[in-house]
Amino acid sequence: MSSLAVTNVSVAFGGVHALSDVSLAVDAGQIVGVIGPNGAGKTTLLNVICGVSRPDRGDVTLHGTIITGWKPSRIAGLGLGRTFQTSQLFPGMTVLENLMTGLHLRGHTGLIAAAFRTPSMKREEAEMRERALAALDFVGMRAFAGRSGTALSFGQQRVVEIARTLIGEPKILLLDEPAVGLSVPRVAELDTLLRRIRDERGVTLVMIEHVIRLVMGVSDRVIVMNSGRKIAEGRPDDIRRNPDVIEAYLGRQGDARRPAP
Amino acid sequence: MRAVVSHRALLVVLFAVLAVLPVVANQYTLFVGNLLMLYMILALGLNLLVGFAGQLAFANAAMYGIGAYGAALLQVRLGLSYWLAAPCGAVLAMAIGTLLAFPALRLSGIYLALATLAFAQFTQWVLLHWNSVTFGAGGFPVPQPEFSALGMSPDRGIYYVSWVVTVVLLAFAWRVVRSRVGRAFVAMRDREMAAQALGVGLLRYKAMAFALSGFYAGTAGALYPAVLAYVSPEGFDLFQMVLHKAMIVVGGMGSIAGSVIGASLLVYLLEVLRQFKATQEIVFGALLLAFVLFQPRGLVDFLKRSVPGWSEPLHYASDSESAFDVAVADELVTGSRGGADR
Ligand SMILES: Nc1ncnc2c1ncn2[C@@H]1O[C@H](COP(=O)(O)OP(=O)(O)OP(=O)(O)O)[C@@H](O)[C@H]1O
Ligand SMILES: [Mg+2]
Repeated sequence: MSSLAVTNVSVAFGGVHALSDVSLAVDAGQIVGVIGPNGAGKTTLLNVICGVSRPDRGDVTLHGTIITGWKPSRIAGLGLGRTFQTSQLFPGMTVLENLMTGLHLRGHTGLIAAAFRTPSMKREEAEMRERALAALDFVGMRAFAGRSGTALSFGQQRVVEIARTLIGEPKILLLDEPAVGLSVPRVAELDTLLRRIRDERGVTLVMIEHVIRLVMGVSDRVIVMNSGRKIAEGRPDDIRRNPDVIEAYLGRQGDARRPAP
Repeated sequence: MRAVVSHRALLVVLFAVLAVLPVVANQYTLFVGNLLMLYMILALGLNLLVGFAGQLAFANAAMYGIGAYGAALLQVRLGLSYWLAAPCGAVLAMAIGTLLAFPALRLSGIYLALATLAFAQFTQWVLLHWNSVTFGAGGFPVPQPEFSALGMSPDRGIYYVSWVVTVVLLAFAWRVVRSRVGRAFVAMRDREMAAQALGVGLLRYKAMAFALSGFYAGTAGALYPAVLAYVSPEGFDLFQMVLHKAMIVVGGMGSIAGSVIGASLLVYLLEVLRQFKATQEIVFGALLLAFVLFQPRGLVDFLKRSVPGWSEPLHYASDSESAFDVAVADELVTGSRGGADR
């Protein structure tokens, strides 16, 4: 059984068919890259999986449970993590607090426990702090724990966001263009980080990315989207040579001088 | 050398002064001190909802009124003792406040502001026109609770009750915002989608924020008839709402110490301007606008930057967003008040 399955999902916004009859399955322990031109429906696909958008047709199955129409917070509780195309750090919190919020589902403190500062509440808070610092260590950002999220560089924000999602120990992590705006050395660091997340944490990754070199390098499998449809799927090497993919990227077939993706 | 003042020290000194006020002050000053504590409770509750949880609601004065009328009417109409009626009033405001979380699930920003404002206006209308229950526009007197068993006058007795309640609610708010719940509030305020993706359930935390702020406003309301011995609808009108809002904007949105500082400053101004009723509105309007434009993070931000030792973790929203929200909302309130009154 695959970890995550999308079956015959369609989504339309007004007249725009953002997704048309898309199906895919993701096996545990893989990195799956999703590529495609702007407006292909990649983000919409992630939104449907994590519950932000409701599909008009079709279903999403997570670890054998049909989660179509569930609220995002409930889906998160099943071990699905997500980062976004634009920075979504909480600007009103420190980096450390951002990380601790990533542990929300692991905690139990409610109003009463907070009011009385019960021993279990204090213990939970101390544990969260420890784990948040450890997670910052994992991505090499511990020195920034006390900073405001907005004081970080763009690339640092992306990394902290990944750490914030990872700390909740998701089984599946959806990443929407994690490399956007990163310098070349930073992309190489991200490449290493993604592999470590898969290998050391055993997390399954689904990553939308426009930086083709990163996707092709790191992905076990690549899915290509265009105009709301899945037009190809396979190993990176096969995708490179797929004529449909070349056409989607170059607009017409056989322009041999432009590099295929 | 600059003075080292911690936010804690300031609060401790402030409440120590308030504690000895009955010994040194005359009756009028005592009354103002008591009123100040009511406003602190109101500002704290509103800041939890608007400043921390980011819900642009305009029903605080209405919740205040529901708490006050609930506590007063249960005594006057049903003959309940104050000590039973007051908690009922606070809980009633909390319950009604919680219901406002449902529109807040669908509406945000200016639309939520409008919906809650409509609710506040409806509450005013009920207080004004449901004469057979609320005694209408003129209001009604309410007997003050007795403290003769403790050898204290009612004014002094209720003053100490308010002091204890305010300290408890201040400590409670302080602890809540620095807990998992407080982080969920700020997450929801800053990035709703990301908060959900991390498992923060919006219904749960919006309901919690509205319940808390309803309870705070309701508690202040429940103390009101015991302090003033009288309730009438104008104590809970839109001017009150602007006042509460101004307190948290001036003090600092997303700051507990700021709520207390803002309430203190505006109650002081209210007293200074007592003889010039007509200018009160203008002064508060101008003050609000000045802060929104030039110091949107309130006085606490200034204190944090200029006073060493001031270390309250501040959870303010990013400037552009909060400033915009506040500007739009206050335009709305000032505008609609002008329209309704003249
Ligand atoms: N909330 C929405 N309302 C209306 N149209 C939308 C909405 N979200 C997406 N769309 C449309 O759906 C299509 C797919 O958008 P989507 O964001 O999924 O593309 P994408 O593949 O992520 O593109 P990009 O690479 O630019 O991020 C686009 O035409 C977009 O305009
Ligand atoms: Mg996208």
